[in-house]
Amino acid sequence: MARSPQRQSSREEYDYTEEYGSHSDQQSLRLRRVPSRVSNQNPPQFDWSSPHEEEDEEGSSGPPRDLRATPLPMALKRAMRQIQQMRVPVVSSRESWKRKKAKSLRKLKESGRGFLSFFSLWSKTLQKIGGNFGGGVQSYFLFLRFLVVLNFVSFLLIAGFVLIPSIVFRSVGSKLINSTGPEACMEYDPNPQGLVVFYNYFLDLLSGTGFMEYSYLFYGYYNNTMVEDVNFSYNIPLAYLLTAVFYFIFCLICIIVRMGTAARVVVATGVSTVGNYSMIAFTSWDYGCLGDRATKLKQKNIHYGLQVDLEEESMKKRAATLTLLQKIVLYSLRVSMCVLSLGLIIAAFFGIFKATEFSQKNSLQGGILGLFFEYLPSIVITAGNFVVPLLCDQIALIERYAPSNTVIVALLRSVFLRLVSLGVLLFTLWGQITCDGAENTGDCKLCQYNHLIYQCWETRVGQEMYKLTLFDFLINIAVLILVEFPRRMVVDNWSNKLTQWVGRQEFVVSANVLGLVYGQTVVWTGALFCPLLPLINTLKFILLFYFKKITLFYNCRPALKTFRSTTSTFFFLVVLLFGWGLGTVVIIYSVAEIRPSMGCGPFSVFPSMWSIVPMSFQKLSITSQEFLFFIGSQSFSIPLFALSCVVMCYFVALASVYGKSVALLRAQLKLEGRDKQFLVKQIEMLSQSQHILN
Amino acid sequence: MGNKQTIFTDEQLDAYQDCTFFTRKEILRLHGRYHELAPHLVPMDYTNDPDCKLPLALIVNMPELKENPFCNRIVESFSEDGMGNLSFNEFVDMFSVLSEMAPRELKAIYAFKIYDFNVDNYLCKEDLEKTLNRLTKEELTPEEVVLVCEKAIEEADLDGDHKLSYADFENMITRAPDFLSTFHIRI
Repeated sequence: MARSPQRQSSREEYDYTEEYGSHSDQQSLRLRRVPSRVSNQNPPQFDWSSPHEEEDEEGSSGPPRDLRATPLPMALKRAMRQIQQMRVPVVSSRESWKRKKAKSLRKLKESGRGFLSFFSLWSKTLQKIGGNFGGGVQSYFLFLRFLVVLNFVSFLLIAGFVLIPSIVFRSVGSKLINSTGPEACMEYDPNPQGLVVFYNYFLDLLSGTGFMEYSYLFYGYYNNTMVEDVNFSYNIPLAYLLTAVFYFIFCLICIIVRMGTAARVVVATGVSTVGNYSMIAFTSWDYGCLGDRATKLKQKNIHYGLQVDLEEESMKKRAATLTLLQKIVLYSLRVSMCVLSLGLIIAAFFGIFKATEFSQKNSLQGGILGLFFEYLPSIVITAGNFVVPLLCDQIALIERYAPSNTVIVALLRSVFLRLVSLGVLLFTLWGQITCDGAENTGDCKLCQYNHLIYQCWETRVGQEMYKLTLFDFLINIAVLILVEFPRRMVVDNWSNKLTQWVGRQEFVVSANVLGLVYGQTVVWTGALFCPLLPLINTLKFILLFYFKKITLFYNCRPALKTFRSTTSTFFFLVVLLFGWGLGTVVIIYSVAEIRPSMGCGPFSVFPSMWSIVPMSFQKLSITSQEFLFFIGSQSFSIPLFALSCVVMCYFVALASVYGKSVALLRAQLKLEGRDKQFLVKQIEMLSQSQHILN
Repeated sequence: MGNKQTIFTDEQLDAYQDCTFFTRKEILRLHGRYHELAPHLVPMDYTNDPDCKLPLALIVNMPELKENPFCNRIVESFSEDGMGNLSFNEFVDMFSVLSEMAPRELKAIYAFKIYDFNVDNYLCKEDLEKTLNRLTKEELTPEEVVLVCEKAIEEADLDGDHKLSYADFENMITRAPDFLSTFHIRI
């Protein structure tokens, strides 16, 4: 029988497991071969034949890797290693040079990994969380850490290209281009005159007005300085715009790279099916589970999971036996509930719309009432995000989906609500800035934006995003202090039926992740108008990490119901991508369509933010211009498009071939098993007939 | 390296590094953990490979293993005599297989051994029932246990002999996305 070396080695491993623990005298067909590996009873034998030839063939990376992954006892591995080292393989000098290089490269990689692990944030904390609360909660904190790093690197990007040059050139005092335009449009007075009561500083800190408005925090403070020296030129508006664009592309690349690793797992293992009992039995126990309380909870978790699966199975059976009338009733119920939940969501949107309009019209009020009006959109959004998902959860229960589908449906509704409510807020703002799109009517006639309410509309939008971020953070802290800690104290110290029923706070991963996605989306929509927002968000997420960790360990118990699909990293990243899409739409529209404020900011002289790019383009040398034209022209882009189509077809074909080969191999496995059964029976029959003959 | 330690020779540490997924520092740390399980039994000087084995009862007292319902089976699967007495080599081997970097195939081999309670190279119904009872701390009713075991075998059994051979087990494990992350002890 001709066998490839790969199959032979896997078979030998299989034989090894059979022999190593075998105490029975049942001789299966496979064991009839001369024992080529260790057996339990004999002193350690060593096989000189096949493995080493294979390893020599495989090349320089072969031997140490194989040793570590061989399922032999340690003493044997060390003996094998000694023998390997004593053997001097007869190879060409080029081969040995290659092997030496590969070995040193591997050592370098491992020391590099060790060095980098020194820098990885919070790894011990994450281990502790994973051990005590399981993988689902740990994935939330891993996601949070990813966002912290993303925001920090974005801030470094913005600081390096926009902030620091602005500071340098402002202090140097480079010349500004004088802007021309109607006088009324160029008025911009961010600092109120007269006596400022000291608590106004606090109010200004919270709402981004006053001393904070005319600072590096917001768009309005940056100037359109264009430094042109003998051998150095720096164009701040161009840098501002290109940094914002590159920031978005960079975030997209990070998300996609991270999704790639998660997607590989999802594609390889397929969607998790309900009732996968064998997997639950063998892979659900987390060996890293520490502590008595955690293991008891884990056991309850598994028990609950199995019960839920059994219940889902019985529900499926029941659903399959519904009569036509019952089916009609069920589907009409589902449709009406869907309509109801949509109605609730639209009511929330209408509330946000009205609140934003009201807030923008009454933004010039002072004092605490003014602060309340300023924060009105944030308050309405947060209230909507709290109340509507609760109601949607109850509605989903009425709809009588299978438990895992219920969770997914409720989650999708929450995602929709959160992201679109932000979109409604932005749409309302846009409506007010551009007089509902009609830029040549009414208040917008003079400057093509509403200069009466918005002397510097970019700063106002930036302030809204700043307020949203701050409010989100404050609400999280407030819920922690005012709801979670008291709840735990009440439940722990006062035991009666009510408190037992309410129980300790459960750390619901999906709701918390949605909060993170919402916060990050706000940062993305506001980054163009408030360049320091990524830094603020980094600090916010770092503080949030510590606060959530504290509440997790003191107040929470792990969720009893965990559905793998909703706690997977892939799902989080897909939702984050939606938020990124919203941010991209906002930035594209603001850059291309709305006229920048004439009184402030680096783009005050330009008809649109994008127009700086063609202008700077003209200043490039002729060859660069021609090169860029060529790239944009049809003679380049059409072949490029065709090439990328070919590459994509190649990958699709490769994927389908792999899928087919996996299915074929699986069928082959089944057949081999049946072959083995058949042959074993044959041998038994033959040996019986031999016994009878004798 | 600057630090001089006299527990292992350099050659021994190199051997351990090549045969396991641990670095030198981690191996020395593991030796510390092994030593503190039985300070009077375990010598500090391993340069001449002393033959010292710790019994099962001492090993399962480690905090990482104590609460694991499969702790006895884990230690037994890695011991050469099958009774759970681990020398330092086997101790390191155990944690190497259970570490983050061990590949899926290696972990699957040892997971199969762990769940095979009667050591007959098959996961039969009794093995599964014992596994389930330990997983759920015997909170499932006996009918539910039998039902789940039947379904589990039905799902994973490829060759139709109503028990899971290693090939069936490995095939099922390749479809489990969490296996690598759950079959992992941090030390």
